[in-house]
Amino acid sequence: MKDIILCANNICKSFYQGNKEIPILKSVTVDIYEGDFTVIMGASGAGKSTLLYALSGMDHITDGDISFKGQKINGLSESKMARLRAKEFGFVFQQTHLVSNLTLFENVAVAGYISKTKEVKQIRKKAFNLLTQMNVEDAKDRLPSQVSGGEAQRAAIARAIIHDPKLIFADEPTGALNKSNSEEVLNILTKLNENGQNILMVTHDIKAAIHGSRILYLEDGMILDELFLDSYKEDEVRVRESKVNNWLSSLQW
Amino acid sequence: MEYKTLLIANLKKHKGGLVGIFLLTLFVTVALETVLSVWLNSNTYIKEQIQQVGFGDLTVWVSNLSERSALVKDIEKLPEIDRVEIQNLIFSNYTVKEQKSDSEGQLITYSQQKNRYRFFKEDLTDYLQDNVEIKSGEIYISPAMISMFDVQIGDKITFPIARSGKNIIFTVKGFYEDPFMGSSMIGMKGFLICESDRIKILSILQNAGIDALARDGAMLHIFSSDHHITVSKLNSILNQNTSLANYTEFVHSKDAITGFMLILQNAFSGFLVAFTLVLLFVVLIVLSHNISSTIKTDTINMGILKTIGFSSFKLRLLLIVQYFIVIIIGMFFSFFLSIPFNNLVSSTTITTTGIRIPTDFPFLEMFLSFSVMLFVLIGFILLRIRKIAKIKPIQAIQKEAEKISFNPKKNVCVFGKGIYFRLALRQLITGKYQYIGAFVISVILVFFASLIGRMNTWLGTDGKGMMDAFNPADHDIGIQIFGKLNVKDVERMVRSYTEITDTYLLAMPNVTINGVDYTANVISDSERFHILKGRTCITDHEIILTEFVAANFGISIGDTIIIQGDRGDGEYVVSGIYSCANDMGDTIGMNREGYLRIGNDNPHIWCLHYFLADTSKKSLIIQDLEDTYGGDIYVHENTWSGLSGIILAMQALMIFMYSMVVIFIFIVTVMTGSKILTAEQMDLGIYKVIGFQIKHLRFTFVLRFGLIAILGSIIGILLATVFTDPIVSAAMKLAGISNFVSLPSIENIFLPVGIVTFLFTGFAYLASKKIEKSNLTALISK
Repeated sequence: MKDIILCANNICKSFYQGNKEIPILKSVTVDIYEGDFTVIMGASGAGKSTLLYALSGMDHITDGDISFKGQKINGLSESKMARLRAKEFGFVFQQTHLVSNLTLFENVAVAGYISKTKEVKQIRKKAFNLLTQMNVEDAKDRLPSQVSGGEAQRAAIARAIIHDPKLIFADEPTGALNKSNSEEVLNILTKLNENGQNILMVTHDIKAAIHGSRILYLEDGMILDELFLDSYKEDEVRVRESKVNNWLSSLQW
Repeated sequence: MEYKTLLIANLKKHKGGLVGIFLLTLFVTVALETVLSVWLNSNTYIKEQIQQVGFGDLTVWVSNLSERSALVKDIEKLPEIDRVEIQNLIFSNYTVKEQKSDSEGQLITYSQQKNRYRFFKEDLTDYLQDNVEIKSGEIYISPAMISMFDVQIGDKITFPIARSGKNIIFTVKGFYEDPFMGSSMIGMKGFLICESDRIKILSILQNAGIDALARDGAMLHIFSSDHHITVSKLNSILNQNTSLANYTEFVHSKDAITGFMLILQNAFSGFLVAFTLVLLFVVLIVLSHNISSTIKTDTINMGILKTIGFSSFKLRLLLIVQYFIVIIIGMFFSFFLSIPFNNLVSSTTITTTGIRIPTDFPFLEMFLSFSVMLFVLIGFILLRIRKIAKIKPIQAIQKEAEKISFNPKKNVCVFGKGIYFRLALRQLITGKYQYIGAFVISVILVFFASLIGRMNTWLGTDGKGMMDAFNPADHDIGIQIFGKLNVKDVERMVRSYTEITDTYLLAMPNVTINGVDYTANVISDSERFHILKGRTCITDHEIILTEFVAANFGISIGDTIIIQGDRGDGEYVVSGIYSCANDMGDTIGMNREGYLRIGNDNPHIWCLHYFLADTSKKSLIIQDLEDTYGGDIYVHENTWSGLSGIILAMQALMIFMYSMVVIFIFIVTVMTGSKILTAEQMDLGIYKVIGFQIKHLRFTFVLRFGLIAILGSIIGILLATVFTDPIVSAAMKLAGISNFVSLPSIENIFLPVGIVTFLFTGFAYLASKKIEKSNLTALISK
C-alpha cells in the first residue's frame, strides 16, 4: 500500500459572473500517492488546470479540504504557504515562466536559495549539475528571452527540482514545445519519477499522458475514472498508447 | 466615430496614469496661478496705492525745519519740479509690549477730511468703507506690527517725547494700510494720530528744549515736472539748488520705496516660480515615462489598428488628444482651486507685507503663461510619440520578446547571501529605463530642497545671516549714548553680566556723491568690514564701496571718488569692495579718520558695538541698561524686527515646498510603481510559485525605489553644493545682498536626502500593496 502524500476531500471551486455562480470543480475527492507519476486528463474546460492549482494551493478553493502529508494546507497563511512551496513543491508550466531578468542559472539557483534546504555553495553546484543534466549548461548565462523554448523549459524543470521537492506540479509542460523538445521534457520527467520523484501533471496529449503511472479523467469538474499503468518503458509506447486510447474511448473522449 | 470609440477606450485603459498627470498638472498650475496672482497683484497694487496716497517721485523726510513754506517755495521754483506736498509727522522711538523699536517711528497726522489711507476691519478680512475718526490717545498702525511685535488692538504703545519720563502713550485702535512703510521688511513705521495729539507732542517738545527725544518733521513729496529726469539727478538738483540737504533725514524715490515694500513678495515669488518650473520639469519626466509605457503596452493594439487602416498620424493624434484633454481639465480645475489659495495667501501675508494683496485674477497673464505651458507640454508629447511611426504591424502583432540589455559578466550576480538586495539591484539594472523618471525627479527635488535648506541655514534661526548681510560689521549689542552718561559706567554694567571681548564704534551719517545722498558706514576699526574684494580702508584717504555703488559709478578698486560731507568734501581712493545690503546696497564704508576729513564729529552719532563673551546674556543686559538709563541710551541687538517676517516666510516656503515634494513623489511613485508592477506581474507570480513571500517581494520592490532615491539624492546634494551659491547669490544681489555663502549642515544635506528617500520608499511600499493582490492564477491564464 502506497503512502498518500496529497489528499483532496470534496473540493469545490466556483467562479462568479456577477451574481451567477459557475462551478468548475464539483466536489472532487482524490488522493495522490507516493512514487506515482499522476496525470490528469480531460477535455478543454473540464477543470484540469483548476484542479492542479487548487491541489497545489496556488488557487483558493470554495469548499472542501486539501492535506499535504497529513497536514491541511487550504487556509494556510500566505507565509506558510510560501514556505511549503519553497521546500516541498516544484512547478513546471506550459509557458516556461522563468524570471525574465535572471539568467537560466540564476533562475534555477534562486529557487534553491529561497528553499534554504542546502548551503549556497551546494545549491550553486547542484544548479550547474542540473543544467548540465538537462543539457543547457552552455546557455546557463543567458536570459530566458535569449534561449529556445526547449532550453527554457528544461531550465524550468531544473528549477522545479533544485530543492528536491516532494511533489512536482506540471501544467501542460509540453504544450508550447515542438515534438522533439516535448519528447525530451517528458523523458526527463519520467526519469525523475523513476528516481522516486512524485509528479502530478495535467495534459490533454495522449503521448504525454502515457508517461504516467496513473491517469485521472476529469469531466465537467468531476473525476470520472482513473487508469493505472505500469512503469513507463520506451519499447512499450504503442501498447500504452493503445491502452490509454481504449480507456479514453470508453469514456467518450 | 472611430476616434471617439478609441479615445474613450484609451482613457479607460490608462486612467491611472492619466489621473496622475491630471493631478500633477493641477498642482503645478495652481502653484503657478497663485504665485503669478500674488506677484502681479502685489506689484500693481503697491504702485497704485503709492500713487493714491501721494508719494512723490522723490520723498524727503525732513526734521527741525522751521521755515517749511520758504523751503517748499524754493523747491517749487525749480523748473524740474511740478509740486511739493507736505505730510506732517513727528519722529520718535517707541516701546511696544516691552520691546523697544530698533528704528524710529513716524507719528503722522491724520485728517478725516483729507484722508489718504485705507483702514482695515478688526479681523483684517476687509477694508472699512468709511474714513475712521481718530480720537486723542488713539493710534492706528500697520498690520505688519503684528508679526514684528505681536501687537493687537487695545495694546499700548509708548513714545518717549522728552527725558524725565515725558512719554505719550497711545492705545492701538485699529490697523491701516501703509504702502510706504507698511511691510515688516521696512524698519521705520508710520503711525496715524489725530491733530490734537500732534499739537500736544509739539508743545512737550517746545518746553523740553535740549531734553527733547522726539523731533518735529515732515514728509516732502516732491513731484517732478519732467518725467525723463532720473531720481538721482532730481536729488542732485535739489541738493545743489536748495537748502533741503540741511534738514534731510533720509530720501527715498518712488521706485526705491516700491522695491522695499515688495522685497518679500518678489523674493518669494521668484523662488516659487523657480520651484514651479522645477515641478513642471518633473511633470515632463512623468509624462515621458507615461508615454513610453503607454506605447509599450499598446504596441499590439497599434499594430492591429495600422493593419485596419489607421495611419501613424491618426494614432499620434489620438494620443495627443488623450493627453490634451487631461492637461486642459487640470488647468481648468486649477482656476477654481487657486481662488481659495489666493485668498489664503492674501489673508496670511497681511501681517507681514502690511498690505492686503488683491486676489484679482490676472486673466491675460494667466492665459499667456498657460498657453506657453500648454505649448511646452504638447510640444514635448509630440516629440515623445514620434516612435509610433516606427511600429510595424507585423512586428507588433508577433510582439518580439522585450530586449533586456544584459551582460552577465558586468552585472550583479544573484547569490544566496543578500538575495533580496541582489535581486532588487538586478531588477533595477535590467529595468533601468523605468526608473530614470524617479531618479531624475529625486535629483531635482533634493537639489531644490537642499538649495532652500542652505538658504535657511544661512539665514539661521535668529536671522543672523541676513543681519550680517545688512550690517557693515558684526557685533553682539550696540549702545548709543545721548545724554551725558559716562561710557565706563555703561561698560561696567555690561561687564557685571559678561566680559566684553571686543568693541568698536560705528556711525551712519549721510554723505553725498555727485549730488546723490548715500549712507556712509563709518567704523573706528575698519578691519571689521565684511570685505569681498581688495582690502579695507586703512588710511584716511581710502574708502570701500558695495558692488552696487561701484557699478553705479562705473568705478573699481584703485579709482578715486569725491565725497561730500557736512563739513566739506574730499577725494578718496577705493581700496576694496565690501558687503552691506542696507539701503539696497547703496552704502559706502569709511574709517573714522577718513570721515572726519569731511564730516563733523558729534559724540551722539557714534554707536558703541560690543562683542560679548556670553551672548546668552544679551537680553538681560539690554533690559538692565534700559531700566537704568531710560531715554538717555539706545541699545540694540544684531537683529531687526522685520526678520521675523522673513523667517516666517522662509518657513512657509519650506512647508509649501516639502508639501509639493510629498504630493509629487506620491504621484510619481504610485504611477511608476503601478506600471512596473503591472509589467512584472508574471515575474512576481513566478517568484511566489518558487516560494518567495509577499513581504520579500515588497521589500525588493521598495528597495529599488530606495536605491534610486538615495542615488538621485546624492547627485542632487552634489549639484546643490556646486550650484547653490552662484544661483542664490545672483538672486540675492537683486536685494543688495552680495555675500551669500552657504555652508553644509545636517539640515540641508541629510534632511532632503532623508525625506526624499523616505517618501520614495514609503510610497513605494504603499504601491507594493498591489503585490498582495496579484493572483497566482495569472500564470494559469497565460
